Amino acid sequence: MTDQNIINKYLNKKIRTEKSANLILFQVEKNAILSQCLELSNNQNLQLKTINATDERSENGCFKIFYIFGIPGENVFLAPYIRIEKTYEFPSITPFIHQASFYELEIYTFFGLKPIGHPLFHPVLLHENWPSDIFPLRKDFAYNKRPREAKNPPYEFQIVKGEGIYEIPVGPVHAGIIEPGHFRFSVAGEEIVSLEPMLGYTHKGSEKLFEVLSFNDKLKLSERISGDTSFTHSLAYCQAIETLGNTPVPSRAKYLRVIYSELERLANHLNDIGFIINDTAFSFGGSNGPRLKEEVMQLCEMLTGSRFLRGVNTIGGVTKDIPNEKKVRLEEKLRKIRKDFEAVIEVIDDSESVQNRLKGTGTLGKQVAIDHGVVGVAARAIGLMNDARIDYPYASYENLEVKISHQTAGDVHARFYVRISEVYTSIDIITKALNKLPQGAINSKSTNKLQKNAYAVGITEGWRGDIVYFITTDNKGEIARVGVRDASIPNWSAVPHAVVGNIVPDFPLINKSFNLSYSGFDR
Amino acid sequence: MTTFIIIVLKVILIPLLSPLCVGVVRKVKASMQNRRGASIFQPYYDLWKLFHKDEVIARDASWIFYLTPFILFGLSLILPLGIPLVGSVESLSFFGDFLVIIYTLAAMTFFLALSGLDVGSAFGGFGSSREMTLAALTEGVLLFSLLPSAIIAHSSNLILMATSASTLSLIDFLPIGIAFMGYFIALMAETGRIPFDNPATHLELTMIHEAMILEYSGKRLALIEWANANKFIFFIILGVNLFFPWGLTTSTAPSALLFALGTVIVKALILIVGIAIVESSVAKLRLFRLPDLLFTGFIFCVISLLIMNI
Repeated sequence: MTDQNIINKYLNKKIRTEKSANLILFQVEKNAILSQCLELSNNQNLQLKTINATDERSENGCFKIFYIFGIPGENVFLAPYIRIEKTYEFPSITPFIHQASFYELEIYTFFGLKPIGHPLFHPVLLHENWPSDIFPLRKDFAYNKRPREAKNPPYEFQIVKGEGIYEIPVGPVHAGIIEPGHFRFSVAGEEIVSLEPMLGYTHKGSEKLFEVLSFNDKLKLSERISGDTSFTHSLAYCQAIETLGNTPVPSRAKYLRVIYSELERLANHLNDIGFIINDTAFSFGGSNGPRLKEEVMQLCEMLTGSRFLRGVNTIGGVTKDIPNEKKVRLEEKLRKIRKDFEAVIEVIDDSESVQNRLKGTGTLGKQVAIDHGVVGVAARAIGLMNDARIDYPYASYENLEVKISHQTAGDVHARFYVRISEVYTSIDIITKALNKLPQGAINSKSTNKLQKNAYAVGITEGWRGDIVYFITTDNKGEIARVGVRDASIPNWSAVPHAVVGNIVPDFPLINKSFNLSYSGFDR
Repeated sequence: MTTFIIIVLKVILIPLLSPLCVGVVRKVKASMQNRRGASIFQPYYDLWKLFHKDEVIARDASWIFYLTPFILFGLSLILPLGIPLVGSVESLSFFGDFLVIIYTLAAMTFFLALSGLDVGSAFGGFGSSREMTLAALTEGVLLFSLLPSAIIAHSSNLILMATSASTLSLIDFLPIGIAFMGYFIALMAETGRIPFDNPATHLELTMIHEAMILEYSGKRLALIEWANANKFIFFIILGVNLFFPWGLTTSTAPSALLFALGTVIVKALILIVGIAIVESSVAKLRLFRLPDLLFTGFIFCVISLLIMNI
C-alpha cells in the first residue's frame, strides 16, 4: 500500500498528515486523542505498539506524546500525537485502552506529565529513594548529576483482607541465578488470590544514556538492553537509524540478519524449554535443554566470535559474513541439534506427569491478553496471531515463508508447545535463508547523517515478542530521544492475571513459561 | 557381648555411611541426565564445609530454632537402634517397637515444622504447613505398611518382624510384597523425594522440606542435613530388611554376620538405584495431587491386609 492508500483507509480525510521516515504523523487535539485512539484500535483493529513522549521545549516549546499504531503487512506506523504546552497534564486513555496504563505511568515518572483520569496513579520503575520532583528524561536533567536521596513513603501494595489470607513477600533477591524483582502474593492457603510484582531494580537509565552516548556507543547500548536478546534489540535500533539516515542495506546482509535473529531465538527457546521442564522437577528434560542451548551458542561463537551475537549488527548491515565452509558446518550442526531435540521432545511428550503439570496451569484469558496488548509467544499461545516477522516485514522475512506457531489454550502447556514448534520453524528458516543467501556486500557505507527533526520506528520480533524502538532527531540531525519497548513491557502486566487462582508452588513454572526480561522491562 | 558390639557399631556405622547414600543417589540421578555429576563423597565435603562456617540466626529466633537441629540429629541417631541390620542377634526388646519408631519420626517432623514457623518468615510458614499436611497422611501409610509383617510375626518388634518374615515361603510373602508398595510411597514422601518434593530445587516457592530449613546456616544446617541423611539411610535399611529379609542371620558367628552385612549393602544399593530411577523418570506432582498418591499407598496396605486373612 502507498502512504496515501493507508491514510485513506484508516484516517478521516480531513486530517492533515505529515510523513517522517516510516511514521505517518498527525496532530490531534488533547481532548480528541482518546476518541482517535479508540477509532484506530477498536474500529480499525490496529495494534497500539507503544506510547512515547518527547521533550521538545527548547525547539517547539512543548512536550509531545506519540501514540504509535502498527499497520499489519506494512512497515509504516500511524502516529497521532498531542502537544502539551504551558501545562504538565494530559488526558489519560487508560480507562478505555488498558494497555496504555504502563506507558502513561512511565511518562509521568520520567517526564513529569500527569495522566489525568488514570485509575491507579503512581510512579513506576523508580523507587522511593528517587526524588519525586526530578524527571530524568526531561532535557534539563543532566544524566551525570546525582540527585539527593529522597525518603518518600514506600510503595503501598494492594492489601487483600479476609479470613486466612496472608501475604508472601518474595525477592527482590531470589535463590536461583535470575534477575531481581519483588513479588507480593496474597494467598488463601495455597491458592493465589492476588499477585503484585514490583520491578525497577535493574533500572539503568538507558533511555537517557542513549541521548548522551557517542553515535557508535548507542548501538552497543542497544545490544545490552536485555542481554539475552542482544541481536534483535540492536537490529530494531539499526533499522530505525537506517530509516532515519536512508541507509541502504545490501540483500546479503538482510539474509544474514534473519539467520542471526533465528539463531538467537533458537538458543533462547531451547533454554526455556529446558527450564520449564526443570521447574516440574523432571531432570532429564531440564538438563538437555541447556545442553542444546549451549551448542547453539557455540555455533554463534564459531560464526561471529560472540556467543551473544554482540558486535554483529552495524548501521547499514552486519559485520560478520558466513563463508561457505562455515555455512556447511552450520547446516550440519543444525541437523544434529534438530535430531537431538526431536528425541528429547519425544520423551517429554510421553511423560504423563510432565504433561499433567503443564496442562491447565497459568491460563491467560484471551480478552485479558488483548486488553494488556500481550505480544510474542504468550499471545500466540492463546491464538492471537501476532508476529512482527509477518506483520511488519523486515530484513528478508517476506522472501522466506514464516509459519506462525500457535496454540489456543493459553496455559503453560500452550506456551511450551509454541516454543517447541518455533524451534523447528527457526531451523527451517535458517536452512532456507542459507540456501537463498545472495552474493554481495554485507554492509553499505553508512553515514551518520540523519534526517533532521524526524521520527522513526524500528520493530523486530525478538524471541519473547516484538521489540519496538522509537527514535527522534533534533534540528541538527542528532538523536534526541530513543524509546525502547521490549516485549516484556506489555507481557509483565498480564502475568498476575495468569497466576491468580493457581497455587503458590506452580508460580515458578508459570513465570518461567513467560520468561520475561527484568532488564528489558526496567531499562 | 556380640549384641553389644553390633549395637555400638550400628550407632556409629549408620550415621557415618548416611551421607554416602545421598551421594550415590545424586550420582545415579546425574548419570540418568547424561551428566557426570559430583563425586559420591560430595555430601561429606558439604558437611565438612558447613561445620566450618559461621551461622546467621534471625533476631526473632527462640529456643526452638536453636535446639531443633540437636533434637533432630539426636533422634536420627536413635532411629537405627530399633531396626534390623544383620539379624536376630541385635534385638533390643526395649527399643524395637515399630510404633515407637513411627512416632520418633513424627517427633522429628514436629520439631522441624515448629522451627520453620519460629522465625516468622513466610517461606518457613508455608513449608511447615505443607509438611504437616503431608506428614499427617504419610504417617498412616507408613503404619499400615508395617502392619502385615507385625501380624505375621505376632510381634511389634521390628527385628522379630524381619527375622520371622525371612522364614516365610514365597506364596505367604505376597502380602508383604504388596505392603512394600505402600512403604515405598511413604519413603519417598518422608525423605522429600520427587514426586513429593525436589531436594535439588532452587525455587523457594515450590519447596517443602527446604523451605522449613531455609533460615538455617552453618553448623546447625549441617546437623539438619546430616539428620536428614540418617533418616534416609534408616528408611532404606528398614525397607530392604523388613520387606526383603533374605540374608538376615540368626547366628552370632562373625562370618555369618559379615555375610549378612554384605547382603544388606547390596540390597540397599539396589533400592537406592531404584529410588534414583523413579526420581529421574517422573516430574513432581502438583501439591494437591500428593494426597492422592499417598492414598494409593494406603490402598496397597489395605489390600495386603485383606489378602493376608484369606
